[in-house]
Amino acid sequence: MTMNLSRRDFLKLTGLIAASTALASCAPANQLLAPLANVVWPALSPADFLSLNRLSFGPNAEERARFAQIGLANWIEEQLAPESIDDHSCEFRLRNLGTLDMSASDLFDVSDQIFDNVDRFKVPKELRQATLLRQVYSRRQLFEVMAEFWSDNFNISTEKGDCYYLKTVDDREVIRKHALGSFRDLVWASAHSPAMLVYLDNQSNQKAAPNENYARELMELHTLGVEAGYTQQDVMELARCLTGWTVKEHFWRGQFTFDAKVHDTGTKHVLGLEIHEAGQAEAERVIERLVEHPAAARFISTKLARRFLADEPPAEIIDKAAQTFEQTHGDIRAVLRVILLDGLSLAQSKYKRPNNFIASALRALNAETDGDDATQDYLLRMGQVPFLWPTPDGYPDRTQTWQGNLMPRWQFAFALARNEIKGTEIDLPRLLETVHAKTLEESADQIASLLLGSALAPFARDELLTALHAAGADETESLNIFTAGILSSPAFQWK
Amino acid sequence: MTLQTLPMLNDYTLHAPWMPRLAFAPKNSAPRGDTLVVIFLRGAADVLNIIVPHGEDAYYALRPTLGIPRPDDRKSKLRTLDLDGFFGFHPALQNLLDAWNEKQLAIIHACGAPDESRSHFKAMELMERGVDDAKGPASGWIGRHLATLDTGNASPLRAVGVGEMPQRSLSGTVPVSALRSIADFHLNGDARAVAQMRSALDTLYAGGDSFSALGQETLGILDILQKLDPKADSESQFPTSAFGLALQQVAMLIKADVGLEVAAIDLGGWDTHFAQGSTEGQMANLIRDLGDGLAAFHAAMHDHLHKLTVVTMSEFGRRASENGSLGTDHGHGSMMMVIGGDVLGGRVHGPWPGLGSGQLVGPGDLAVTTDYRDVLSEVLVKRLNNPATNEIFPNYQPQLRNIFK
Repeated sequence: MTMNLSRRDFLKLTGLIAASTALASCAPANQLLAPLANVVWPALSPADFLSLNRLSFGPNAEERARFAQIGLANWIEEQLAPESIDDHSCEFRLRNLGTLDMSASDLFDVSDQIFDNVDRFKVPKELRQATLLRQVYSRRQLFEVMAEFWSDNFNISTEKGDCYYLKTVDDREVIRKHALGSFRDLVWASAHSPAMLVYLDNQSNQKAAPNENYARELMELHTLGVEAGYTQQDVMELARCLTGWTVKEHFWRGQFTFDAKVHDTGTKHVLGLEIHEAGQAEAERVIERLVEHPAAARFISTKLARRFLADEPPAEIIDKAAQTFEQTHGDIRAVLRVILLDGLSLAQSKYKRPNNFIASALRALNAETDGDDATQDYLLRMGQVPFLWPTPDGYPDRTQTWQGNLMPRWQFAFALARNEIKGTEIDLPRLLETVHAKTLEESADQIASLLLGSALAPFARDELLTALHAAGADETESLNIFTAGILSSPAFQWK
Repeated sequence: MTLQTLPMLNDYTLHAPWMPRLAFAPKNSAPRGDTLVVIFLRGAADVLNIIVPHGEDAYYALRPTLGIPRPDDRKSKLRTLDLDGFFGFHPALQNLLDAWNEKQLAIIHACGAPDESRSHFKAMELMERGVDDAKGPASGWIGRHLATLDTGNASPLRAVGVGEMPQRSLSGTVPVSALRSIADFHLNGDARAVAQMRSALDTLYAGGDSFSALGQETLGILDILQKLDPKADSESQFPTSAFGLALQQVAMLIKADVGLEVAAIDLGGWDTHFAQGSTEGQMANLIRDLGDGLAAFHAAMHDHLHKLTVVTMSEFGRRASENGSLGTDHGHGSMMMVIGGDVLGGRVHGPWPGLGSGQLVGPGDLAVTTDYRDVLSEVLVKRLNNPATNEIFPNYQPQLRNIFK
């Protein structure tokens, strides 16, 4: 507890200093915000490094120090209470992204260029930028990991219709609001989310002929899973319950509404429930059923365990997590405790997805980034731009999908280490000053420790440095390309 | 912590016991056959509006708004382009008529998989793995084709997935890389820095594990592609869409003779539940992209057609009747197109099950009368010289449908 307090006070202090200095001076705020470059990074055991890698977008010096200080269990508890973690410096970085807090109608208005039609790019661009900045700079790392998890589970592409501006509201009011709350509230909020209703075509689901799209994915992808035993009949009947769930236009643009005029009023049968005429409450009754369904407990527990532990997670962890899910009626924190505290010791290698790869490089090297187009372009080449996965299954979470596209990772590493990415900068000499690295070998060991958890075996480090020397590299080049090499190495692709 | 299962993080070469490089000799050896280009239309393409059964009255009854007008419907400016008196092209396929007329395009209608989940993700996974259920092998059908046939071709470009991720169908023991753009596939920087980086990568990926093999393959591709001139193919008329660019990359690889045996390309956006349009609109634009891309590829590959097979497929078809949102919901039977110099083209293959009320299946869907594996098996046996269809499609006895000469 005292540790928590001291951390909070400390962070509050740095946050205040950062904010007040930025307000008071014209010095580039970004420099003032470089997060705690003077923290020495302790070497971590492979097990601890793995845990921190899974629970965050990659260990940085500060988080390593914290983790080494309080240990895994305390670190998890601290992260499960994100509101207790001061995050002012991250919020400060988002200060110019004015669309993040806007209402749907305001978002539409800023997208509406009176003379040039609708600008469909500004709003999703800011959301993408904010997402990357939070992944890199937020101290609420586990929260950000979970926000990404739910963004996949309840995937919405900003390319679909009005989702280009409605997704910003969904991200704020559905995903981030409930990321560590209750699964029931999350599904409930998602079902009433205009972005989701547009993305899966329910806004046009009417009695005359129902549209099955949302009804199917609500069961298949959001809650039960395809093997849960529901039928095509269940899909069609749930679609009938959902007729009239739509989105307002004009003055109340972008608000959820239930349009009784187009609702199918007959009796429906879904998953064994007989549902009588009750308007909006019909589908809500099915949602209450879905979130309590044992298949949902298993489906979500499996996906969580896959995200944190292994592509094929251990059955005993899934069983226990699913049991906890049912007992706690979908308390996300309770389920996470089981998966993390019981499961991390059983974790298997996982390949970093592109977002994770880029954020972990930027975090470890204490990079200063604006998260803007130049960085996002690398995500595009790697195939994981936030909120651009077209289909409702969300970005894949299995290693196999992401392997086989090494070139853009190497390109990113090569450019980052030589400071050739616009809007992104690293300062290796300053980093290495912190730990008083003097020789090239000491520097290489510190870089490897930052990126991989501990220094390379001397023979491996020397082999690489010798190869660089043979290729004509001087000392500065050697360090830069050594860094690019470690970022490109097999080991850094895994977590 | 089960550390023996984790990569040794203090060793960049990652000699990882959990990922041995599986090197074994394939069962069959044969000279290289055709280059195969597999195009997956993701999202369950509404094939009834691509290859239109204009001879069926039921089609127009089921699709009062979305139906593509009959070829002789003078009231409509845009209408079905008749192929054989019963089927016709969507008008946006105009440019593909050349391939049809030259009898180098065959269509297999009412084609698909037995899976009736109507789930995109389950259906795509099963189809790309070439299996009936979750119990089958995890690798993809193309991956198993590569693994079961020795063509004496060691090129790292033996198979590529065009885009950002290699398709599931390609997965297996032979490493396969994604290739988005030939022009972008290089390290950007001055020659001195590039040489240093190259030296680092050679050192880092020298291991004998499967991941190092993937890295070595990537380096091999880098070496091959930097000898190609990305502007070499400027005379071809590919659409400027991602799909057009993907086909253009494949055409360049084929012309450059770099050892390409299989390329997989995705064209997404076919999940048209809402406002798909008829002769014009959202889906017409997609069909045009497909047709113009295939037509440009067919034209660009004129001198290579007897060593080339192009196949299009989709995870399932869509409901025969339109829905209330001017779109279509998930259905069953689909359609495949095959382009090549030796295909029995200019005809629609496969028994037509009809769209009458007694003929539709499930909630009102086109039936499947030809299994997609029959078509692919014929490609494998007759065009790729690989007889191992029982390994590529386990627990399935393919019937060859005489789609090729």
